[in-house]
Order: sequence, then C-alpha cells, then structure tokens
Amino acid sequence: MVGKTVTLTGNFAAGKAAEMAKPKVIAVYPITPQTDIIEYLSGLVSSGKLDARFITVESEHSALAACAGAAWSGVRTFTATSSQGLLYMGEWVFWSGYGRLPIIMPVVNRCLAPGWSIFVDLQDSMAFRDAGWIQIYTKNNQEVFDTVLQAFKIGESKDISLPVMPCLDGFVLSHTTAKVELPDPEEAYSFVGDYSDPVVEVDVDNPWAYGGLVGPEQFNIARRDLMKAMERAKEKIIKVNKEFEETFGRSYGNGLIEQYGDDDADLTLITMGTMGDEADEAIDQLKQEGYKVNGVRVRTFRPFPVEDIVRIAKKNRKLFVLDRAVSFGHEGPLRIEIEAVLKRHNLDIPISGDIVGLGGESVPFKRIMKIAKEALRS
Amino acid sequence: MGTKLKDLMNNPKEAFYKGHFACAGCGSVLALRHAIGAIADKVILVVPACCTSVYQGSGKGVSFNVPTINTAFASSDSVASGIKAAMEMKGKDVHVVVWAGDGGTADIGIATLIGACDREEDILHIMYSNNVYSNTGGQRSGDTPIGARTSTTPDGNTTARKMVPFIMMADNAKYVATASVAHLTDLVDKVKKAVSLKGFKFIQIDATCPVAWKVDFSNSIEVARLAVQTGIWPLFEWDRDIGKVTISRPSQKYLDKEHRKPITEWTEIQGRFRGITEEQLKALDADTDRQWDFIKKFL
Repeated sequence: MVGKTVTLTGNFAAGKAAEMAKPKVIAVYPITPQTDIIEYLSGLVSSGKLDARFITVESEHSALAACAGAAWSGVRTFTATSSQGLLYMGEWVFWSGYGRLPIIMPVVNRCLAPGWSIFVDLQDSMAFRDAGWIQIYTKNNQEVFDTVLQAFKIGESKDISLPVMPCLDGFVLSHTTAKVELPDPEEAYSFVGDYSDPVVEVDVDNPWAYGGLVGPEQFNIARRDLMKAMERAKEKIIKVNKEFEETFGRSYGNGLIEQYGDDDADLTLITMGTMGDEADEAIDQLKQEGYKVNGVRVRTFRPFPVEDIVRIAKKNRKLFVLDRAVSFGHEGPLRIEIEAVLKRHNLDIPISGDIVGLGGESVPFKRIMKIAKEALRS
Repeated sequence: MGTKLKDLMNNPKEAFYKGHFACAGCGSVLALRHAIGAIADKVILVVPACCTSVYQGSGKGVSFNVPTINTAFASSDSVASGIKAAMEMKGKDVHVVVWAGDGGTADIGIATLIGACDREEDILHIMYSNNVYSNTGGQRSGDTPIGARTSTTPDGNTTARKMVPFIMMADNAKYVATASVAHLTDLVDKVKKAVSLKGFKFIQIDATCPVAWKVDFSNSIEVARLAVQTGIWPLFEWDRDIGKVTISRPSQKYLDKEHRKPITEWTEIQGRFRGITEEQLKALDADTDRQWDFIKKFL
C-alpha cells in the first residue's frame, strides 16, 4: 500500500474519498458548511483530473433530482448537502430512497432555522430517518474519508441498492483539520470497484417505465423489498467494515456500532458523531478516577443496530443516551430508538438521557464526565 | 422538414401500445403518439406528475413503448439533465425529452425548466398545454387563459396566461416553438428539428382537454384548429442563432388580425367559457394582441 498521511478538513476528506471512487455524475447546490466538498470536486472536473459531468443546478431539490436521473441511467453518482438544503431536497430524499437509487451524499450536519445558525446538531439528517437511506455518522476526519469510500461499496452492491448518507458534524469536522491517512488512489478505487451491475438502468433498446402508477399489491412488494434490503444492509456494512480493515488496517467497531470500554460497566454512554470521540476521552478520565463506564457510539442510525443494542443492554447495568437532536413532544431520537429496542426485547435496564449540543453548543469531554457522574449517582 | 400526413403513420416505432388510460379526445395522447413516435427509436422520456404519468398505464400494464422515467413534480428538467449527463458519460447518443403539462412547466416546474435552460442542457422540454391541472380535476394554472372557468376560478380566470415560450426566448434557449394538435405534421417537423439541434429546446403544444375545456370529444381537433384561426394560439419558431421568429405555415395567414376569426368562435364551443363577460372577452382579445405584438418584434 502506498498511502500517505496528510492533514485535511472533514470536507476535504469527503471530497478526496469521492474523487477516488470516480463518480460519473455530480450535481450540486452550495450550502454552508458543505461548500468545500463540491468546490474541490469542481476543480478536479474542470482540470480533467476527474472524468465526470459536474452539474451546477438551481436548487438542492434539483441537485438530488439530477443525481436520481443519473442513477437511473446506471452510473456512479455523488452530491453533498446540509441542513436547510437537505430539507429543500426532501421530496427527492424520499424518492431516491424508495426508488432504490444508490446515490452517495455526505450530509454535513447543521442545525435548522430558526434561529439562523450554521453550527452542528443532528436535527437535519434525523428528519430523514424514514426516507430509506443508510445513515452513517462519523467521529473524525479519518472516519469521514473511510465512510464515504465505504458508502459506494455498500450502497451500490446489487443486493442492497440504497442511497447512503455519510454524516459529519458541521465545522467540528467539516472545517477542522486533522490527520488523515489516505490510501493509494488505485487501491482505493479497486476497493470500491466499478458500478457495473446496477439494478436499474434506463435503456432505449429495452424500454421500461420507472416510478409509475401501481396498485397496493405491487406497492407493498416494493416497500417490503426495501425493508428487507435495509436488513441486508446491516450485514453488508459489517462485511465492508471487515474488508476495509483487511485492506487498509482500519475499522470502526463492527461497522454498525463502536464500543469503547468494557461490557461490565456501571454505566454505558450512548452517543453519535463527534460526541462519541469526546465520550471516549471522558471514559478514559473516568476510569482513572475509578469509575466503570462504557461507551457506545451508534454509527449507523439506519439501519439501526438492534442486535448490538440488545447485546450491550444485556451486559450492562445502566444506559445513558446523549442526543444531539430532539423529537419535539417526546425525547431525543436516539433514546427513542433504544428504549423501543429494550421494550421489544423485554430488557429491564434503567435508561435515561439528555439532549445536548444543539445549535453548535460545545460538548467537551469534561461536560460528558459531569453528565456521567450525575447519571451514576441517580 | 416537410413531414407529410402519410409520414405520420411511418414512425420508427410506436410510442405506445394499446392500454393507455387517456380520456377520449385527449390532445396530449394524440400529440405524444406523433411527437414521440417520430423519434421513438432514440428517446428517453421524463414525465413529472401530470395526466401522462397516469395515462401511460399501471403496473405491468404500462402502454408506453419508450423508456419512461416518472419524476416528482418540480424536477423533470433536472432529472433529464442527470440522464443526459450519464448517457454522455456512457457515450450513448439519445434524445432526452421532458413531457410535462402546464403545471409542471409554467408553475411548479419553472425553476427547474429555467435552470436547465440556462445551463444549456442538451434536452428537449415539451409542454403539452391543457391550461389547467387536469389530472387533479381542473384547477387554474399559470397557463389558464382569461375568462376560463376552472374548479378554482368559478367566475372565470382574470389574469393573462403565462407565456412560457417568451420566457424561454429571454432565457436564451437554443430553440423555442409552439405547436398544435390540429397541425400534427407541423408538430412533428418541430420535434424533429429540435432534437437535431444541440442545446436546450422548448416546444409548447396546445393540447385539448375535452373534460376541462368542456368540449365534445368529437370537437377536440376543431377547438385546437380554431385557436390557431382566431389567433389565440400563434404557431411560430425561434432559433437563437438566427435570432428571428418564423411564423409557422398554419398561422401565417393570421399575422394580420383582419384575417383572424373572431375569438368568440373559439370560446363558444367550449363550456369553460360559458358566462364569460364582455369585459373578460375584451381582456382575452387584448392578451392575444399582446402575444402577437411580442412575436412581431422578432420577425
């Protein structure tokens, strides 16, 4: 392997991974803090370093629509967005998920207005929980690179054929430089492979109609097939995580969750995104103070790692969920999911949680330590 | 291009087979048969929500014989842009054609239409214009003429129709044309010409909706012919590189208002204009003059 270590922002890490996967069609609309990703790719296309069509559309709605058109035509397709932009493309987020179009779209997580703010929380991508997309949340720039690369291999595989949303925290990752190990581009491409066998490929010589009128029977066949594909996606993500480790020497837990600490703990902190990295630091410090605290970072929010949560809950005494989004009128979305898993599997384990870090509010490890200590006392 | 009547029956292949769901006398389905049939060997059709997304058929009973991508309402030209880009990357020479109603073109779809036009995407957008949201029961659209009763303008529409061809001329489209289901050879000529040109092309077809227009099915063609003869619907072509409008043969006679039939001949055979006021008729006439005056500037 002829890799090299560089310092990159999360955005450039995402852009580099896309570059190495060589998408054929990229359709984009700018939004802070996603812009570096698309600017980087536009430079590559205009200089001829990347052989792709780069379409600068008039809205996010059209960005994803153009990607959908390209995906229907059976080529590798990439875009990126954030926050209001993701909401504006909303109709197409669902359309491409339910249409099984394997578009790869990093979402740079940013809170939603009002008030107007460009900083991180997970409210934007959480709103698309049910859109039929694989969502993978990352903790650092290395994972951003690795996840974007993996996303092509996961989403495009014929037994899955689903769009993938690698998520990275706005500014905390997107605009902060950190060390990233880049693989040799050829090796990266050979890991991803060609998109050679798409499920759908519009063809003049073999006319089909896509997305037309259907009755309830066919509609349900399609939806149930999507449900099964999401289940299969769990195994695929685990498999790709393993293959990635074999090829590049890095992995992220089992691909679905990453655990930090021991199973036999008094408290398990459950987080997502960069809060997971801070939680690891907090756990180290707490260990030194004599506490037995375990950390679980949920990497894939969809498909949700039900089996892993069950396994962890069975071996632990108390769960505490840190959510960076709110389902107003209820709780944080991550906590809701975990409570549902516990209930369904008759696991009577104390669970509580907190909503933190909205609108870019900082959640440093010291704060997580404080939260953990309070949770241990209660 | 000189398409003859007999040529209409000699398409490279049929655009669709039996089993479509269109109403009797539907202008759109007739226009599609000939416009798309004429280029059916090389076409990929993109259809936003509209009557066509329904009348193509359902499930395994789709009647269309050309690849058809049905899309969300406000995005057909963007989807078409993505398809064309992918096909170019694959080295495939195909005509990507958007087939959209007036709502999906003039109203909710206008941002994506203008976006694709100003990017000079190599696609053809065909707007089949039935002047209402026919598919949802006949509500007013931006393309509804003055005086027309729709299910959301029960006293008659009061504002002038949005002339999308003029917008496209201003947005630097490569080719803009109007056509009519009463003049199919002219329509086919225009479609063939459009796909022979590189860049963004736009054609608007006056396509009778007997249901919304409250016209007897047997008068479907007659009402479209009267639209031309009364000057309500001028047929013309615009080529950006020539920089001039050419009045199409069926409309040439009506350049001079003296030769036009009174617009009441067009309104009176349509139930949607029943009860149109004198004031609305005057406004409709003035709007027709406005359209001709605009076109004449480019002769």
